[in-house]
Parts: sequence; structure tokens; C-alpha cells
Amino acid sequence: MTGKINIYHLYPNHLNLYGDRGNMLALCRRARWRGIEVNIVPVGPGDGINFTSCDLLFMGGGQDSDQKLVAEDLKERSAEMRRAAEENMVIFAVCGSYQLLGSYYTTARGEKIGGLEIINLYTDPGHGRLIGNAAISCSLWDPSRTLVGFENHGGRTYLGENLQPLGKVLYGYGNNGTDKTEGAVYNNVIGTYLHGSLLPKNPWLTDHLLQKALAYRHQDITLRELDDSLEIEAHQAALKLAEGRPR
Amino acid sequence: MEAGNNQRQNQHNKATGRRPSGLRLLVASWIGKILITLTRRLGKGGTTLPGRVALAVDPELNFKLAARLKGGTLMITGTNGKTTTASLIDGILEKSGLKCIHNQSGSNMSWGVASTLIENSSWTGRIDGDMAVMEVDEGAFPGIAAALQPRGVVVTNIFRDQLDRFGEIDSIQALIKAGLDAMPPESFQVINADDPSLASLEKNKNSSRWTYGLDLELPPDRFENTGQDLKTCPVCFHKLDYTRIYFAHLGHYRCTGCNYRRPEPDVKLTDLNEGASGTSRIRVSLPDQTLQLEIPLLGTYNLYNILAAITCARAMDISSQIISSALKEATPSFGRMERFKKEGREIIMALVKNPVGANEVLRTVLNWTGQINLVVAINDRIADGTDVSWLWDVDFEQLYTVKDRFPTVIASGLRARDMAVRFKYAGFEPGQVLVEENTGRAIEKAMEHTAPGGRLFILPTYTAMLEMREHLNKMGLGNPYWEES
Repeated sequence: MTGKINIYHLYPNHLNLYGDRGNMLALCRRARWRGIEVNIVPVGPGDGINFTSCDLLFMGGGQDSDQKLVAEDLKERSAEMRRAAEENMVIFAVCGSYQLLGSYYTTARGEKIGGLEIINLYTDPGHGRLIGNAAISCSLWDPSRTLVGFENHGGRTYLGENLQPLGKVLYGYGNNGTDKTEGAVYNNVIGTYLHGSLLPKNPWLTDHLLQKALAYRHQDITLRELDDSLEIEAHQAALKLAEGRPR
Repeated sequence: MEAGNNQRQNQHNKATGRRPSGLRLLVASWIGKILITLTRRLGKGGTTLPGRVALAVDPELNFKLAARLKGGTLMITGTNGKTTTASLIDGILEKSGLKCIHNQSGSNMSWGVASTLIENSSWTGRIDGDMAVMEVDEGAFPGIAAALQPRGVVVTNIFRDQLDRFGEIDSIQALIKAGLDAMPPESFQVINADDPSLASLEKNKNSSRWTYGLDLELPPDRFENTGQDLKTCPVCFHKLDYTRIYFAHLGHYRCTGCNYRRPEPDVKLTDLNEGASGTSRIRVSLPDQTLQLEIPLLGTYNLYNILAAITCARAMDISSQIISSALKEATPSFGRMERFKKEGREIIMALVKNPVGANEVLRTVLNWTGQINLVVAINDRIADGTDVSWLWDVDFEQLYTVKDRFPTVIASGLRARDMAVRFKYAGFEPGQVLVEENTGRAIEKAMEHTAPGGRLFILPTYTAMLEMREHLNKMGLGNPYWEES
């Protein structure tokens, strides 16, 4: 084995709404296929675990009732998480937990839940849910690459000034259905509304997260190319589906 | 009962401010009847379009026709188990001498209910049946409950299913609550006590509630991290503690924050032995007696379906002799572990539509011994759910642990490529996975790979199942579903 990544999975029993298991599987498999050891640490509410040995923190989606419980528990960890984010630890947050990374999140019932204040964004409720296949153009690479997924959210997220979105909406709604942005990137923190699951069908994003996690611990390993023909076929098929939607 | 219905009709007319219009109803059902004949001739099931058009002509058609049933209507709703539970209840009622109308093809929206009622009424509007047993989609439950004014309802469970349609579990629960609130006074409710999100729903005044649950020592759920939708108390949002989990969030629970806990069920399953010939031997404890039954259905999910049916029958005062003899003859419902034989090969088809149901199906697949050829066909039409992320919550990894038993694995359907990737990340070699989008050709390929004496499992989503069933019919297997008795 060369290389090792510690992946912390935050609240696997509470934040697991839309195939988040697929994101974890993609990270683990793609690391192990290259002989990189993966150690998964599930973190539950109230667990006295800190992030000092965490390289990659994954947070999934939750529904409103779970999100409230999680937000309360996260309050205890917010200072620590902010510090880790500033030091370039990798955080990947999908849907509900993406909303929690911001300054606040107002539920459909009008309840305001304080966020972790890791990224400068906030989320307000809107009329109707934003649902469907989506594709974005993501500039984590040059030239930029597409990411495909499925979005399903009631909240509208607005990015603060100078905050970089994860991508520009090609097809679908994105953060709020109006400004054509999707997700957010700050240091090595990536938040997105896209699931589907996102990582298996976008292997380049999975590899980006793994590469950044290795770099965070100063492990000088270049990820070996894999045969991604099945993944690319699934990516192209999903892209076609998203194209069928109104711009 | 007839008087009760007339009274309801009057109340309903008062509420809607309309006079009963017999002519409109007749025209609507004639149009419906003609369309049913036409769509059948085109080789379709005829459960959607005729009902839609008829409801457009007379929006109160469901109410008016259902009011003519002297025994009233029973509704079965919930995420999983609706079709099997409804067909078990139908069997018990038929055994008790009642002629039942039943939307057994799984067309469970308001137009499916309308098509079923129209099909079972004469050109003069006389309805041919004593009772209706209607399987109803959770999303359509409030509307249909208000229209049919049913005598009773069975709610099986709430799982994650087609979230793109409903939003989240919280909103499915809100739909069920709205449906229960729309039930008439004096009606009865049959509720799964092992599902915390259901048992917390308050019953409306004057209605009676019956609960059922498992009381078994079973090994804990092997797939604890998958599909467990509800871990927080539906009353106070604190964590729920479980002493037993049967599957997903079904089990014996109590809240760590408030007094909420599993209610003691009225009807309990207290003993289970799986027979070698594909039967379940069970003991069921009722308030006044204990039943011993042998039933030709397997799997924990079917135990809940059986309990739901028994509880519903008891709520209707049906004798245990009738219940026992009807359940003994139970057969798997449409696409739920249906078995076909072709040239010495066995084909078994089981619907998959959400992680909890699919995990239970996979568990049952693995109970068979020997080599198994597998086709998983995933469509993403509206009836299947347009979001396929649920595939990643299904524990396909359990197949990998015995992957030598799966010589052929075929990914099929409109989302065949997503399924192929899913197999790859479950641990199958990419070369072991065939991709064949066309569901008919997938069956043909799978049959070629299945040796005589071998076994082929087909796991389709709903619309993929309709396609594949049609293909099996062309191969001379089974009947089109609308021709079944």
C-alpha cells in the first residue's frame, strides 16, 4: 500500500438522504483500486471525535427534521471545522449539509437554523422544489469539465461576494434557479446540491477530492489513470437527460 | 351500509353545493368504457387514459360510483407492500362471500381507481361488486380518501420512495396525515405499529384504530446504514433508540427525549419458521386468540403484509377460519416474486422501487441456492421515480460477497449505464457486467446464458416490469395483467 486517507463520514445515520452512500463508495473504491489505503471513521451526534487526523470530511443530505438535530450537534464542532477548512482540509458536502456550511438556513416552515459559517453563503426558502436532472460546467479543471447529477431542493442558496461557485449551470436550476451558479468552492471545501449519486458518475471530481486529501497530508502521490469507460458512458447518458430540460 | 352511503352522499352534495347528476356520470363512464376497449385493443393496459378522461367529464365519478358499493371501500396505502396486502385482503373478503372490485394492476392514482370502477360497472351504471379494495398511491391518498369516503384504510409503512415526487419523508408523512384526516367518522384505520412515523399520527375522532407489529427475535438488520430513513422522533426530533430493528426503521423503538414509544400492537406475529417449500409458518396473536398459519410467501416484508391483511380482516369481524383458509391460498402479486417456467429454466421476477424493498428482495434472492443469472432493469419514468440515486442505497454489495454464484449480470432499462456503474462499484468486474438497454433483448440474452435447470432473476422498476412482462407474454409466459381473474 502506498498512501493512506482518513475519511470522516459525518452523521451517516442522519445525513444520508439521496444515495450519499454512493459518494462514499466512489471515494473508497477509487482510492483502493490504486492501492491507497482508506480508513473510514463514522461520526455520530455526541461522539467525542475531533478532526485532527481527518483528511477528507464527507457530509451528506438530510431532511429538515434530521438537519435540526445535526445543526445543534455541529455547533460544538464549528470552530474546529472552520480552522480545518482554513488549513485546507478537504470537506465535501452535499445538499442539506451544503446548506449548513453557510451562515444560516431557513426551513420551509420558516425556522432559521444557524450554520457553520465556513463558507460565505446563506439559504432561504422558495416556492416549490427545484427538481430534476442537471449539468454544470466546472472550472476546477482547465479546460473546464462537466458534472452531472440530480437536484432536489426547496432552499435557495445565495453566494456571498467573491465566493466561487462549483460551476455554471448548463441545464437545471443550480443554487437558486436564477443566477446560474451551482454549488460553492472555498479552499478545499466543496458544497453542491447535486446528487445522483454525484461522485460515481463524475470520476474526475472523485479523483480531485482524493488528490487534495493526499496533498493535505503532504503525500506526494499522483493518482494512476483508471479505466473509466463505464463511468463515462453513464456520465454521457445523464448529460443527455439533463439536456432535455429547459435552460 | 346503504343508508350510511346515502347519508354520506347527501353530506357530500351539501358540501360541494351540487345536485347529483346521473347523466354526467353515465356519459363519463360510457366514454371511459369505450376508451378502455380501445386502449386494450392497442395492447395497452387501459388503466390511465380512460380514467383521466372520465374524471375530466365527471370529477365526482369516483365518489358517485363508490357510493353504490353496498359494502363500501377499503383503501391500502403506504410505500411498500400495498399490492400484496391489497391482494391478500381481497382474497379474504372473497372467501367470506363478498364480490370485490380491486385495482390489482397497480394503477393506484385517482384515474386508476376511476378506470377500475368504470370497468366494473354496467352501461346503466350498476356496479358489479359488493366492496372495493383499492390500492392507493401515498401522494393521491388525501384526494382519493376524500372522494371515496372509505370504510377503512390500511397504512403499511413510510419509506424513502421516489423522493423527486414527494420531497422528503417528512412530506410523505404529512400526506398520510392529510389522508387519515379526510377519512369519514366511524371509519377504521389499520396502522403498522413498528413504523414510528405512522404510529405517531393521531387518529381522528370517532374512528377506530387497529395496530399490528412483529414480536420476533430476529438477527439485527444487516444493512443498518442503508435506507434507514427515520432515526429521529417524529414528535420531538430527539434520537430514537431501538431494541429491535426488523428492517430499515421498522422495529421496537422509544424516544430518548419524550414519552413516545412503539404502541403495543393489537395483532402480533410471535413466531416464524420458514418452510423448505417456500412457505412461512407463522403464529399470530390476536386480542382474543392465537392463529397458526402456513403461507406460501417468503421474506420479512411479506410478514408485515400478512399481518396488515389479518388485522384489517379482524377490524371487519371476519372469522379466523375464513382468514386462515384464504391466506393458505395466497399467491405472489403482479411482479412480486412471480415465477415462470420456460424450457426447463425458472424465471423469477420481483419489482424493485426503493432501497428498503430492493434490499429485502436481494436478501430473498440470496436465500435460493445454486447459480443465479441476474437482470436488473432500471427505468426513470415518472412512475419509477426520475432520480436514480436510490440505487446507491441498495446493498448490492451483498451480492459481491457471493459473486461466483452470478455467472451473468445484466444491467438494463433506460438507466442501464447507471446500473452498470453501480455493479462495478459493488465489486463486480466490469467484464462480468453486460449492458443492454432494451429490456426485451436483456431477457433474451439472459435466457441464452441460463442453462437448462438454471434460474434467472429479473429485478425491474415499475415501468420496466410492465415492458418485461409484455415480453414474457410474447414468449408464452403468463397473461397480460388485465386478463387475469
